[in-house]
Amino acid sequence: MAMMNFFEYAGRPFVGILEEFGRVMLLFLSAAVWAFRPPFRLRQVFKQMEAVGVNSLPVVLITAVSSGMVLALQSYYGFRMFGGESLVGATVALSMTREIGPVFTALMVTGRAGSAMAAEIGTMRVKEQIDALYAMSVNPVQFLVMPRVLAGMVTLPVLTVVSDFIGIVGGYFVGGQLLGINSGVFMARIYEMLDLNDIFNGLIKAVCFGLILSVVSCYKGFYTTGGAEGVGRAATQAVVISTVSIFISDFFLTAVMF
Amino acid sequence: MTKLTVEAKVGVFVVMGIVILGYMAMKVGKLSLMREKGYDVEVFFDSVSGLAPDVPVEIAGVEVGRVRDISLVDGMARVVLRIKPGVKIKKDAKAVIRTRGILGDKYITLGKGSPSAPDIKPGQRLWRTEPAMDLDALMGTLQDVAADIKSLSSSLTGVLGGAEGKATLKAIFNNFKEMVQTLNNTVQKNRDNIDVIVANLTDFSKTLKELGGVNVKDIQKIIENLSQASDRLGTVMEGMNRIVSRVNAGKGNIGRLLNEEEAIDNLNAALASLREISEKINQGQGTIGKLVNEEETAEKINTALTGINDYLQKQETFRTYVDYRGEYLFEHEWAKSYFTLRIQPKEDKYYLFQVVDDPAGKEKVTRIRREVDGQIVEEERVELEDELKFSAQIAKRYYNLGLRGGFFESTGGVAIDYYLLDDRLTFSLEAFDFDWEDNPHLKFIANFSPIHHIYLTAGYDDFINDEGQESFFLGAGIQFADEDIKTLITNVPIPTH
Amino acid sequence: MIRLAGVTKSFGSQRVLNALDLEIPSEEITVILGRSGSGKSVILKHIIGLMTPDSGKIYINDKDITRLNERELNEVRKQFGMLFQDAALFDSMTVGENVAFPLVEHTRLPKKEIQRIVEEKLRQVGLPGVAEKMPSELSGGMRKRAGLARAIALDPKIILFDEPITGLDPIMSDAIDDLIVNTQRQTRATCVVISHDIASTFKIAHNIAMLYEGQIIEFGSPEAIRNSSHPFIRQFIKREAPGWNAGP
Ligand SMILES: Nc1ncnc2c1ncn2[C@@H]1O[C@H](COP(=O)(O)OP(=O)(O)OP(=O)(O)O)[C@@H](O)[C@H]1O
Ligand SMILES: [Mg+2]
Repeated sequence: MAMMNFFEYAGRPFVGILEEFGRVMLLFLSAAVWAFRPPFRLRQVFKQMEAVGVNSLPVVLITAVSSGMVLALQSYYGFRMFGGESLVGATVALSMTREIGPVFTALMVTGRAGSAMAAEIGTMRVKEQIDALYAMSVNPVQFLVMPRVLAGMVTLPVLTVVSDFIGIVGGYFVGGQLLGINSGVFMARIYEMLDLNDIFNGLIKAVCFGLILSVVSCYKGFYTTGGAEGVGRAATQAVVISTVSIFISDFFLTAVMF
Repeated sequence: MTKLTVEAKVGVFVVMGIVILGYMAMKVGKLSLMREKGYDVEVFFDSVSGLAPDVPVEIAGVEVGRVRDISLVDGMARVVLRIKPGVKIKKDAKAVIRTRGILGDKYITLGKGSPSAPDIKPGQRLWRTEPAMDLDALMGTLQDVAADIKSLSSSLTGVLGGAEGKATLKAIFNNFKEMVQTLNNTVQKNRDNIDVIVANLTDFSKTLKELGGVNVKDIQKIIENLSQASDRLGTVMEGMNRIVSRVNAGKGNIGRLLNEEEAIDNLNAALASLREISEKINQGQGTIGKLVNEEETAEKINTALTGINDYLQKQETFRTYVDYRGEYLFEHEWAKSYFTLRIQPKEDKYYLFQVVDDPAGKEKVTRIRREVDGQIVEEERVELEDELKFSAQIAKRYYNLGLRGGFFESTGGVAIDYYLLDDRLTFSLEAFDFDWEDNPHLKFIANFSPIHHIYLTAGYDDFINDEGQESFFLGAGIQFADEDIKTLITNVPIPTH
Repeated sequence: MIRLAGVTKSFGSQRVLNALDLEIPSEEITVILGRSGSGKSVILKHIIGLMTPDSGKIYINDKDITRLNERELNEVRKQFGMLFQDAALFDSMTVGENVAFPLVEHTRLPKKEIQRIVEEKLRQVGLPGVAEKMPSELSGGMRKRAGLARAIALDPKIILFDEPITGLDPIMSDAIDDLIVNTQRQTRATCVVISHDIASTFKIAHNIAMLYEGQIIEFGSPEAIRNSSHPFIRQFIKREAPGWNAGP
């Protein structure tokens, strides 16, 4: 009996996590189903693409350019020890396209747009606006969740491409212009080492991350309870859970792809 | 400056992403997205072990193309080379599979061929090949050679007993040397000729194929001549074969072969006659030679071919297209669909018949009677209803510019089309629904077809309307020409009762 | 006709509706009265299918909506218009877009026509010219009226008003009362109104339902309610019946 209680006690968080995971999946599935039913709500999708994609561009650009520059600087100090400075470009390019581009972009978008999604939908929940949608025969999953998930999946790869490119440009600036690595060699090494598949696999990651962060954030908003305080909690949890999920899935995606 | 709409911003954003991706992909460029331009040449090898698609094809160390496809045909490896446009390859150039470094990647290098040989045409085959120097094969040959040397040397020790033996040996070696020289000479001299014959023959048979069923009499004559010639060639070849098989059988026993003078004589005779034939052919003697070399024949064939071509072309220009497209209008959030039949009797002229399903084509006015404070008030309510509309237009084209006129969605109208990129990109401006009360319906359309049969469409509808009806639209369509439909229909299994 | 039969609803251990029976006649205005927190809003949410009862049935035109799936429920809901207690305007849209929302969703009216209806409805609720403003730029009373405009935009067959005049000044309250009466008269809609204002109730109601401790303790014409002998009702409408203890 005591044993039973122990397992029950210890297992509860796991059961809770599994249950929550299941509900996130259900929300995603229903969003996926609603994406193929008219009306298609392109207007909402475009609005969300603006909110998630266009408006995240500045932060993503700043993050990308600085991480590209830092990467160049740090790898330069390492490679200089055995005269491999010419590899700095390739290092920056490979790290940006495979990891830093998709992951940092996803993290920035989570912080900017994911929290906003959770807060927005959460507010609509506590202010009965979701009830109002139901009352007007409009499915809130189709109206609110589906456009955000779609926007996340479409805009993340676009942002990632921009981030990859800007990061490499930043690395080129530091490596080629400031540290005096021959810029021709710098670029030649990039062309030599970088494969189109690196870029594409990074973009596949970006699509997955976009999906994860938007579904998690919408989920947290959609099931908000407890008024204004609940909205704040939903936004925080959306960011924390999305971030952790992005890192975990990044590991598995990397293991599968590279 | 007016504020950008959400759609415009998102559009710019996505296009920026695609452009950057395209730029990076081109720069990295190991996997070019578009199919490379150029022409195909095929080569057959006994073995292409280690050769992979997309490896380079080089001439004198310069990349002139890539391997496009490798397949198995009758136990041989058929390799298709995609040669860059503008690169000329001689018909008798030799294709060799080489390895970069000892364990490096395989690639194909092409020889420069003889200067007098004609350039190869797209789709033709390069006949001269050399197999890959496979390490295993090399070892195998070396072992055989070693065995031969061993047996030879053991018999030599027997022979080299005395002075007589010495003399025999000398004679043997002299004979041997002489024979090898003759063999070399004849083969070298004739090899090019044989290649040319074979190339000519394939060319010729291709021409025959193209010729189709017309000019039957001529062709019959040609074929007759050809069979005569090939009969003669056949006997020659047979002789050759016999010799070669004997040479093979006598492989381990060089001494016997050397003494068989008959064999050498035969060989020499065969080669001589072969050379004779090919020389004759080159000089225009003999039937094949005449056919190939005489201007008159070539002209005859040419005129025949042009005649056929003209006929076929006339047939070809008459085309029918069936087209279905859907457009989603953002402003109204509804979709319009178009079913089009385009009949095109000439390249520069067509008739277009279209059925349009417009979900908001018709205004339905309903009168509602209401009681307000005891009085009955009548009110009008306007609702939009689904309507089918029809278009019938005639179109004429001048180079890149097209003009259309006729009925547009059940009203009169005109349109102007501008064609780009081999007609894959078109811009159109349509004007219709002219009446006194309001502005005409103007519609700007851009169509882009990334792949055959499918196109994307985008544009701005009714943009000088003053009732707020203007809308950006986005859509897609599929188009089939009559022959596509034919193949579709014939390939679809029809259930029988 | 709307009929609630034996509807019971609890939140945790708190039983809000207790085997409640209520029949709301068609094409009339029925006002539900009750104390704050007694479950009036909960009744409305049951009628429109936003909440499902723990037990009991809810009939809309003889169809039990507690057994419908989402799609069928949506069809039923298309006959409804609802004003939420806190208006529930969408924060991300302008007031005009909010009012136009049901029209855009469920009709194929041309844009111009929608605009015309939106302006007309906003004028009716005394809010001309606010179409371009965001809901956050309005006062509470103005938001409520905008919500009212949205609820009646489609001229629905059944309109549920959750405290339409709470928080409005007396003049505006009167105007909204007139609007409800006129709208009902014009469209012959079935109206369910929740109210705390006795004067307004007697002005607009065809029927009054009195909610007390999870049940309808009295249902009848304003006249009948006025003459009721139930001590709670007497206290509620006339502030009489001393000795009546102030409830739970
Ligand atoms: N979603 C919910 N979860 C938990 N309890 C709820 C919920 N909705 C309502 N309640 C409870 O049900 C009771 C009735 O609430 P309701 O909103 O119907 O009151 P009301 O009669 O509309 O009051 P008011 O006149 O103040 O609006 C309240 O005690 C409230 O705490
Ligand atoms: Mg309430």
